[in-house]
Amino acid sequence: MRHHEEENEEETMKVKVRFFAQFGELLGTDIIVEPASGTVLSGLIKEIAQRNKDGYNAIFDEKDTFREFVILMRNGKRVDTIDAVTTNVVDDDEIAVFPPVAGG
Amino acid sequence: MITIQHDDVDIGKLITDAKQRGMGAIVVFDGIVRDDDIREMELEAYQEVALKELEQIAADATKKYNLFSVDIIHRIGRLKVSENILIIIVGAGHRKEAYEGSRYIIETIKAGVPIWKKELRKDGDRWVPGEHPQGTGKFN
Repeated sequence: MRHHEEENEEETMKVKVRFFAQFGELLGTDIIVEPASGTVLSGLIKEIAQRNKDGYNAIFDEKDTFREFVILMRNGKRVDTIDAVTTNVVDDDEIAVFPPVAGG
Repeated sequence: MITIQHDDVDIGKLITDAKQRGMGAIVVFDGIVRDDDIREMELEAYQEVALKELEQIAADATKKYNLFSVDIIHRIGRLKVSENILIIIVGAGHRKEAYEGSRYIIETIKAGVPIWKKELRKDGDRWVPGEHPQGTGKFN
């Protein structure tokens, strides 16, 4: 029964991942995913980015780590890419992934 | 007025509306699309976050430079050469604060607010690289 409940929790978790600028062109702009409980930020982004080779290579280097210019946000707050490997995503999170800004 | 929008604004009206008793200077910054051999420019924003950050920048500038008023209008969408991209109107008691406040606002926007520009060029499109490689503006 407990196992069943856990499964239900996993099924209901929804996270929105938003890619901007060139990342959005390569990977899509607003992606809704249902990650398993315990999924970390970096793993989630990697999984989505693998849908498009150019998109993946734009964000990750040959060692599968974030390129140094990549900026991450979780619910509107910046997250250091180093911390993305230990940051769990939770239900209703909005994750943003983007290159250096160029407004103004 | 702090806003991110497609439409242009009437700068003259904004100046008129900004004026208030005790104000001695208004500085207007108008960033426009430069003709770098482009057809048009397309601007994209992470709108909800960018707007909050613009509001925070305006609040910080007001406090830091003792400003009377701050208006920031950042446009998005497709813009032609010479169209307005970013309008910053700063009112203060004296020119020094007005100039410094305006400069602080534009530089802080460029450092970190999540907005991007793509040049639509005759020889292909190009995303404009940011001046601050790691988005050094910290607001959170």
